[in-house]
Amino acid sequence: MNKILNFTKRNLKEILREPVICIFCLAFPIIMLSLFQIINNYTGGNTPMFEMKSLLPAIIMFSYSFVMLALAQIVSKDRQTFFLKRLYSTPMRPYHFILGYFFVGIIIGTMQTFTCIICGIIISLIAKTVFVSFTGIILMVLSQLPVLLICVFLGILFGILFSDKSAPGVCSLFINVAGILGGCWMPIEAMGKFELICRLLPFYPSVYIGRVATASLNSFGEVYQFDSVAKLGTIPIMIFLLVSAVLSIVFFKRSMTSDT
Amino acid sequence: MSIISIENLTKCYKTKKALSDVSLQINEGELFGLLGVNGAGKTTLIKILCLLSKKTSGSVVINGFDIERDAEKIKEIIAVSPQETAIANNLTVKENLEFFANIYSKNNSEIINELINDFDLSSVLSQKAKTLSGGYKRRLSIAVAIISKPKILFLDEPTLGLDVFSRRELWQIIKKLQKSTTIILTSHYLEEIENLCQRVAILSKGKLVKVGSIQEIKEATGANTFEDAFIKLLSEGENE
Repeated sequence: MNKILNFTKRNLKEILREPVICIFCLAFPIIMLSLFQIINNYTGGNTPMFEMKSLLPAIIMFSYSFVMLALAQIVSKDRQTFFLKRLYSTPMRPYHFILGYFFVGIIIGTMQTFTCIICGIIISLIAKTVFVSFTGIILMVLSQLPVLLICVFLGILFGILFSDKSAPGVCSLFINVAGILGGCWMPIEAMGKFELICRLLPFYPSVYIGRVATASLNSFGEVYQFDSVAKLGTIPIMIFLLVSAVLSIVFFKRSMTSDT
Repeated sequence: MSIISIENLTKCYKTKKALSDVSLQINEGELFGLLGVNGAGKTTLIKILCLLSKKTSGSVVINGFDIERDAEKIKEIIAVSPQETAIANNLTVKENLEFFANIYSKNNSEIINELINDFDLSSVLSQKAKTLSGGYKRRLSIAVAIISKPKILFLDEPTLGLDVFSRRELWQIIKKLQKSTTIILTSHYLEEIENLCQRVAILSKGKLVKVGSIQEIKEATGANTFEDAFIKLLSEGENE
């Protein structure tokens, strides 16, 4: 356990001392949350998608894709600078490395969640709008956990597969897909058959379930209910989680003895 | 007594044979040099000995442990300072020392302070590793390698890219280390090998050309200087 904690501590310091990563992981979600609230305010509050209870799960899910970016960058840099290879010759085992990166992803994801919630409360107080209930928040945070895990595993996987130059590019593609196909700021429900494609990926179902949670105790529940979209949505989420976890572990273990 | 025993070691990459039938014995307490031009196979050999790359065939025994069967036991007694300094760039010098000490459960302030003094790191202790000069990065890289007090230390091109003063300072450090550790050092600086190593293995195109002390190699080739002996051996290798 000491080796895992030691490596987690190092990884956390390494990430938090990179200002660009901090901006993307912590400042960017705050900016987006604030920006959409301003837009909602200027449009007379007529955009249900930009209401806090709808926006919060979407921004939290979207912000997790930056955890993937941060992890992909640190893993690929550690490979590129030979740091990982050097550690491979120490008594550290594969699970020490994977859990060391994994816990950092969870810590950053948790920081993002709290940042978004606190920012949401402040914005609601300023705009004098109703915030989500405490139970709704807890359910919503739990509902987004699988996507956080997917992003953590994919971050490790992309860091192992790609160089520190190409990993951010691959991640930015993924971030855009998460934002657009997750229905974070676009009403996917109104897009006919396109919605079916989005339901095959983990992002939209995750945001949908998050909205069911935040809407459970108020009128928003009329739009988002624990219906077939939410129930069937758990299938792609679980498949993506399983596949990303297996692939990241397999490729990481392979990298420890590969010649490249 | 030999601490590393290599028999008929071969390493093939997809299209290239990087090491071909290399057999070598390295004695305990020795400062052993691996010499060769670029692409001779020095780094490949070090990587195999450090368990960072798998051999294609042959056998390697380190301190009585087989490199494939007892990898975890070997990891407890070796350390490497790679060509790339490979330190945590956003961590300070002190944090780097503590991080590596914790890997071996040796985060003991006495050991760390001893290293800070021996490697003269006190003036840069709170500086992030990425801001250090090349010389200090190398010192830190070697310091974190010996934090576990390894039985065998691999130094891959330890003075690469350093100015003459930093190189001489590192030589002093390496000489001091040799009193308690078996050191295997790769370099393509002949002067460095001549100054530091008791015995040398010369590699060319993945093959072992000659093993012996500097004097033995000079005598065997009839050359006056080590440089002449080295060139003669490599030219003979080319003509074969």
